[in-house]
Amino acid sequence: MATVPHPLHTTTFKLPLPIRTEISHPQTLRFKASLSTNAPLPGRKLRAAVIGAGPAGSSAAEALASGGVETFLFERSPPTVAKPCGGAIPLCMLHEFDIPSHLIDRQVTQMRIISPSNLAVDFGKTLRPNEFIAMLRREVLDSFLRSRAESLGANLVSGLVTDIEVPNTSSTAPYVVHYTANNSRHALSVDVVIGADGANSRVAKSIKAGDYACAIAFQERIKLPDEKMAYYKNMAEMYVGNDVSPDFYAWVFPKCDHVAVGTGTVRAKQYIKAYQRGIRERVKPKIAGGKVIKVEAHPIPEHPRPIRVRGRVALVGDAAGYVTKCSGEGIYFAAKSGRMCGEGIVKASEGGDRMIEEEDLKREYLKAWDAKYISTFRFMDLLQRVFYGSNAAREALVELCGDEYVQRMTFESYLYKRLAEGDGWEDVKMVCNTIGSLARCNIVGSQRPL
Amino acid sequence: MSISMALFSPLTHPPSLSRSIPPQPHPILKPHLSLGPLKASVFLLSTARASGDNGAGTSASGATALESDVDQKISKPPKPVVQKDESSAGANGSLGATEAGEVEVVSKFEDTRWIGGTWDLKKFEKDGKPDWDAVIDAEARRRKWLQDNPESSSNDDPIIFDTSIIPWWAWIKRFHLPEAELLNGRAAMIGFFMTYLVDSLTGVGLVDQMNNFFCKTLLFISVVGVLLIRKNEDLENLKKLLEETTFYDKQWQATWQDEAPGSSKN
Repeated sequence: MATVPHPLHTTTFKLPLPIRTEISHPQTLRFKASLSTNAPLPGRKLRAAVIGAGPAGSSAAEALASGGVETFLFERSPPTVAKPCGGAIPLCMLHEFDIPSHLIDRQVTQMRIISPSNLAVDFGKTLRPNEFIAMLRREVLDSFLRSRAESLGANLVSGLVTDIEVPNTSSTAPYVVHYTANNSRHALSVDVVIGADGANSRVAKSIKAGDYACAIAFQERIKLPDEKMAYYKNMAEMYVGNDVSPDFYAWVFPKCDHVAVGTGTVRAKQYIKAYQRGIRERVKPKIAGGKVIKVEAHPIPEHPRPIRVRGRVALVGDAAGYVTKCSGEGIYFAAKSGRMCGEGIVKASEGGDRMIEEEDLKREYLKAWDAKYISTFRFMDLLQRVFYGSNAAREALVELCGDEYVQRMTFESYLYKRLAEGDGWEDVKMVCNTIGSLARCNIVGSQRPL
Repeated sequence: MSISMALFSPLTHPPSLSRSIPPQPHPILKPHLSLGPLKASVFLLSTARASGDNGAGTSASGATALESDVDQKISKPPKPVVQKDESSAGANGSLGATEAGEVEVVSKFEDTRWIGGTWDLKKFEKDGKPDWDAVIDAEARRRKWLQDNPESSSNDDPIIFDTSIIPWWAWIKRFHLPEAELLNGRAAMIGFFMTYLVDSLTGVGLVDQMNNFFCKTLLFISVVGVLLIRKNEDLENLKKLLEETTFYDKQWQATWQDEAPGSSKN
């Protein structure tokens, strides 16, 4: 990536701009034909506070710190707290974020999807030998990303952020982050705030970003006897059906030495326990003899918040609502949005030398993000609406998943987050099969039994 | 662990979870053992039908308590329940225990023609060829039954049947053709009367009507209408569908709407 000098208007600045390759991965530079009208900062670097040091926050802090911005990374929990999370990340995340393989607990190469009538289809025939879904413990991943951000220059602050004071005039008044650390209250003035504090984001509240609908994910960690655990060595299971969830799926995901059995729902949250019972019933023979070691639940956002950027505050990750429907995947999008936001700030501030404005955030981060991922999110929403609506549709989904072409396309798009090159003819066949399966299963589902 | 299943008589036919209304847990049988009460006052040892809301403080997990008691006579701390297979998330509202032990799944789908996870087509034969209509009916019945009585999935007897086993022409003959006949009939009637009406009002005959662009548009609209609106509910469904399709997109674009009225800065 060659450096692209921004055409600076003011002739006093003739310094060559810092080479962007310090950031460790390829980045598409957009040639900014407009002039940078932002005010240069007098003798100091741009100060940024990143609230929340999960994948989103750590990636944002990493991008900011390595770009030259003075970064403060706030985190309230000690690094060993386990987060209730599936813990599955795609291959592209391992590559893009340089995640070492010793962090990976398991490499899932087989995915089984089971219909309401227990028709089971194995996904994974098309995986190449070096392809897998990586399962990690969140605390392990989060600690790694956090310490990497710290080693690149971010200042890690262990404390609970209680409030963000938003200045009511725009321009250069700083944002004041109030936090509690070591049983005492502190305040920190910064220029930019990135809210990466998850589904119940305090930052989002401070900027009145609006609310979003959440799904609840509920899971139990169960320690299985060895012979049952062997079945789940590289296998993850997905169960669909009205008995396990009316609008989502239930899962059995293997973790380091136990399995997580759980389910989720958006519209029937009060019955989540009954759905959990349902999935336990469905998996009964496979988890017989297991011991529940932990029970946890967490909200999962369903769609982005109405406001994701306001003033010089940006939301990333779960706080912004970047979780795909249908699969509920959020870790990769959190990390990626954190990174894109951080890089956008670095670029707009030219390495921390200039102040940035709301338009910069919107242009460098929001626009870029929407342009890149909105079709992915829209497609997953479509899949969820079509295939998770009724038991008949779920049966059709499982039937379709038996097809190799579908499996290949699904895995390609999941693992690499790119639209796999499809075969035109196979696409047509797939569409016909989809319509056929849906029609057949709907017919069978709606027949009045004689 | 929980091999104390043997202590309980097998479950009777459980009503189990129905579709959208609060599902009911499997009834816990009155255990006829005299075990030391763990927290006897808290647990109701009846065929409790604790509703799905965890607001109900009554835990119907009598079995839970008893089971854990049986298993862990050693320690009786107030929270061994959590350690057991029966999940009791939180102090209140513990679930009706689904003993994850060696209980046979009593409520399995049984049919003489359902063998080895699929329909035995030979049992459906009529005049030497499988009677596909009967297969479809049987499968419909099975799926409906499973909706009300979900079965555990097991690796030992996997389900193999899926609807693609039934040949395409069987579907068409039974479901598409009658509907097609209906719709074509409607379209023909509408077409005839509209042609007559237009002819009597404007004097334009059938052939000349077909050459006119406006008439062709009307024809197109009526064909689409006949196809899409077949029942009274379809109109509402179509409107809802349109709304749903664009809803997610609206949520994503919401962040950009703020810009429009006067580009507010904060």
